[in-house]
Amino acid sequence: MKKWISLILAALLALSMTMAFAEGDLDYVKGKGVLVVGITDFAPMDYLENGEWIGFDADMAKAFAESLGLKVEFVEIDWDNKLLELDNKSIDCIWNGMTLRTEITDVTSCSNAYADNAQVVVVPKAVADQYQNAESVAKLQFAVEAGSAGEDEAKAYGFSYTPVPAQSDAVMEVKAGSSDAAIIDALMAAAVVGEGTSYEDLTYTIALNSEKYGVAFRQGSELAELLNAFFASAWKDGSMQAIAETYGVSAAIIPQE
Amino acid sequence: MSAGDWNIVLNALNIGFLQTLRLFFATLIGAIPLGLLIMFARRSSFKPLSWLMQSLSWIIRGSPLMIQLLIIYYGPGLAFDWHPWGGGEAGRFSAAAVAFIINYAFYFAEIYRGGIASIPQGQEEAGLVLGMTRTQIFFKVKLLQMVKAILPPMSNEVITLVKDTSLSRIISLQEIVWAGQKFLKGSEGVRASILPLLFTGIYYLVFNGLLTLLLAKIEKRLSYFQVR
Repeated sequence: MKKWISLILAALLALSMTMAFAEGDLDYVKGKGVLVVGITDFAPMDYLENGEWIGFDADMAKAFAESLGLKVEFVEIDWDNKLLELDNKSIDCIWNGMTLRTEITDVTSCSNAYADNAQVVVVPKAVADQYQNAESVAKLQFAVEAGSAGEDEAKAYGFSYTPVPAQSDAVMEVKAGSSDAAIIDALMAAAVVGEGTSYEDLTYTIALNSEKYGVAFRQGSELAELLNAFFASAWKDGSMQAIAETYGVSAAIIPQE
Repeated sequence: MSAGDWNIVLNALNIGFLQTLRLFFATLIGAIPLGLLIMFARRSSFKPLSWLMQSLSWIIRGSPLMIQLLIIYYGPGLAFDWHPWGGGEAGRFSAAAVAFIINYAFYFAEIYRGGIASIPQGQEEAGLVLGMTRTQIFFKVKLLQMVKAILPPMSNEVITLVKDTSLSRIISLQEIVWAGQKFLKGSEGVRASILPLLFTGIYYLVFNGLLTLLLAKIEKRLSYFQVR
């Protein structure tokens, strides 16, 4: 009995050692032949149409993987768990309109910024006139996505807020009236609130900051540099602009070199 | 929402519910026999084994299943750089199934233990006098009585299990609650609505209704003898 236990423990230890001293990240990903991309359902960057993931980020990810001779697999994750997923190697990159913040850039290897974004305040259209500056929105009760750039802004401005699981939940809170306002990404706000969208009676007013989107890989991964080179070539041959055009995000895309 | 939208929503919910059902059945198939093993270990006269099981039972039953899911899915990768599950849906399902099986097995073991304890000691003594071995006594005399005694508390656990499967969304297993929740912001071309998420409740209600009928039927079939 005892012998068995020590044998099993020894085997587990040996297994973890071989894994720990394994190859670099690029070799690891090439070895399995699949780039696993961690995403959320976030139009216009990553969203489902007819069972397939499309969007600006999804299309770029597909092209990047193809350039490396890899297959691509999209995995929907809980945004709160994104760094956990990356370290656990259940995903190989976070590529989902991710704001480059120090919390992320300090512990991962990030690509260059590829799109401009801002955190904007979403309020009901009927009262939007009253909330066109930072002073007037300060007395509102906010809903923000937990762990998002929006939460950082709410904190920085000293707003009173409730963290909710996703940006979409934050918008839902405003619609349902349980919160007065939400703070979400400008790119998302443009896609989901206002005329001709799901939330016609909501709109967005002021931008609380300006920020940039990037892609995060594991700390020290060679993939970040490879992606920068890929962005540069895609910008040069115009394919990046063409994809941006398709999803209506041209204005936000940052020229790559 | 239009009829076309409902088509998309129901399709997504059906896929999610299939995952819920798979997790439900995998848990039952794994946890029912594992619970029996745990119960025997717990009742073992070899004290260290019994103590080990009691400590494990305290840990498993005393901590939230949601935390156990996180530890089982993310733990090996983070602590040992060992990745038994993989990133895809199949890996998440396996991790969730393992967490649920272990968790439920410990609850089942306690229920089994109660069932065994409810059988009078006299039956064991009578069996021994008749020259039966303890194994024979367990399988030929006690087991069916135990099954009858534990059916009501087991039904309770089984019904709870159906709903508990939704906890697995913490490791991004795309079961039915996840499938419903994504429509909060609009998805697959359907405009944002809370109705799909609320509608998942109907799936649970219908399935639990069927389960309750089935369990009542089994209980009735076993009612031809009395446990005293």
